[in-house]
Amino acid sequence: MAERPLTDRLDETIDALVARRDATAALHDPELAPLARIAADLRDYPRPDFKARLRAQLEGRPSMTAVSTTPAIREGFSTVTPYIRVREAGLVSFLAQVFDAQETFSGRGGGGGMHREERAGDSMVIVGEGGGAGVMPLRPVAFHVLVKDADATFKRAIAAGARSLGEPADRSYGERSGFVADPFGNHWYISTPIGPESFTGAARTVTPVLHVQGAADYLGFLKQALGAVEDMRHDEGGRLRYARLRVGDAAVELGEGEPMPGSFLLYVPDPDARYEQAMASGATSLMPPADQPYGRIGGVEDARGNQWFFSRP
Amino acid sequence: MTKTTEDDRLLIEAAQADPARFVEIYELYVDRIYSFVSRRIENRAAAEDITSQVFVQALGAIGRFEWRGLPVSVWLFRIASNALADHWRERARTAQEAPGVPDPHELEDIERRIAFYQQVEQLPELQRQVIRMRFVEEKSIHEVAAALDRSEGAVKQLQLRALEKLRKSMASHG
Repeated sequence: MAERPLTDRLDETIDALVARRDATAALHDPELAPLARIAADLRDYPRPDFKARLRAQLEGRPSMTAVSTTPAIREGFSTVTPYIRVREAGLVSFLAQVFDAQETFSGRGGGGGMHREERAGDSMVIVGEGGGAGVMPLRPVAFHVLVKDADATFKRAIAAGARSLGEPADRSYGERSGFVADPFGNHWYISTPIGPESFTGAARTVTPVLHVQGAADYLGFLKQALGAVEDMRHDEGGRLRYARLRVGDAAVELGEGEPMPGSFLLYVPDPDARYEQAMASGATSLMPPADQPYGRIGGVEDARGNQWFFSRP
Repeated sequence: MTKTTEDDRLLIEAAQADPARFVEIYELYVDRIYSFVSRRIENRAAAEDITSQVFVQALGAIGRFEWRGLPVSVWLFRIASNALADHWRERARTAQEAPGVPDPHELEDIERRIAFYQQVEQLPELQRQVIRMRFVEEKSIHEVAAALDRSEGAVKQLQLRALEKLRKSMASHG
């Protein structure tokens, strides 16, 4: 190890620190250790524009009585919310039956179909039923769902008409998981953490899984376009197989596999800036940011067919 | 931090008379509050949100602030401590104890880190860009090299030089 150049050893340590992985090995390398300590402090180095933006925000609100923050995220939502479009009704009752999902909102959508917001555990899923062609295609999405008892939830899913993609079993990644496809083709990876290898300690109930071919390249796009941060990754044979990414206060998972692109609503403080960033990263426009009755929203589609709608309530 | 309680009282009174002057309190304490919060939150966006909450809340409450001789920093650290507890409670769905205000040892560490971040600002432009991209934007060395139109080896060298420079300047700071 020690014969490798210091530049490389340092770079690996920085990779580990930024990804919040264990970097303590660096402390046993006398040449590297003092630099690793400096790097650990740099991890908390404040974003230069953050202070300026906050100052501007405070200066823009001089009235003592009128101070209130407009939340960047709708109450009850996280940064990333999957939007599943289906041709007909049925998915909502599947979610209720299998995951005890509760409907928090239902109304007529812009395209004439139904817009329904469902809460499963601490996570929101939006379901668009019917309606015209619209911007979002009808297509299934994949999810990693954390439940108390993977076996019982798996059985409920099968009883509700799902097809098994894999019986519940103890998996090497520290979870007991069973996999199903619901009657609309969405994949649900139903899991209960059982061991320390599981990376789900602070995870939400429902996390979207992006299946793509060429996950490593796509990871770069997600970082650049969405500001995603890599929390963990698993490589096999030098290729990225799986990664877990943070996007704001939510997460998405990325897996090498048969593509299953989806549509996602992202609550962000500045939809225009995020839209521009995504466009600059190679996405194509679905709708430039505009004010709508429910907030400002703009959307893009990336090269893998995933759609990202940036909104601020 | 060499501010006296008298300075703090004057700052509070000025902001109470004219809320636009709250930015003076903000400029003095934002680094300290951010530093206190970011050490406890492994998510930059959440650390920024909580820091924002602290100052927005403080600005909203400054009219009701009663001067009792406690430093402004203690007031702000208490708001931050409660905001952190709320954040953890929301995520964990269980009661979480607020961390409280920092002890003298942590205060010293906060001051050291603020001095350290000022040293980063003194780095040559290219080195500073590499540091920002690697640590703030969390870009890979490959992405930094592409953005700066340099080889990965050259960027690794810049990264090493920047960290060595920071180590030396912090050592000379004592």
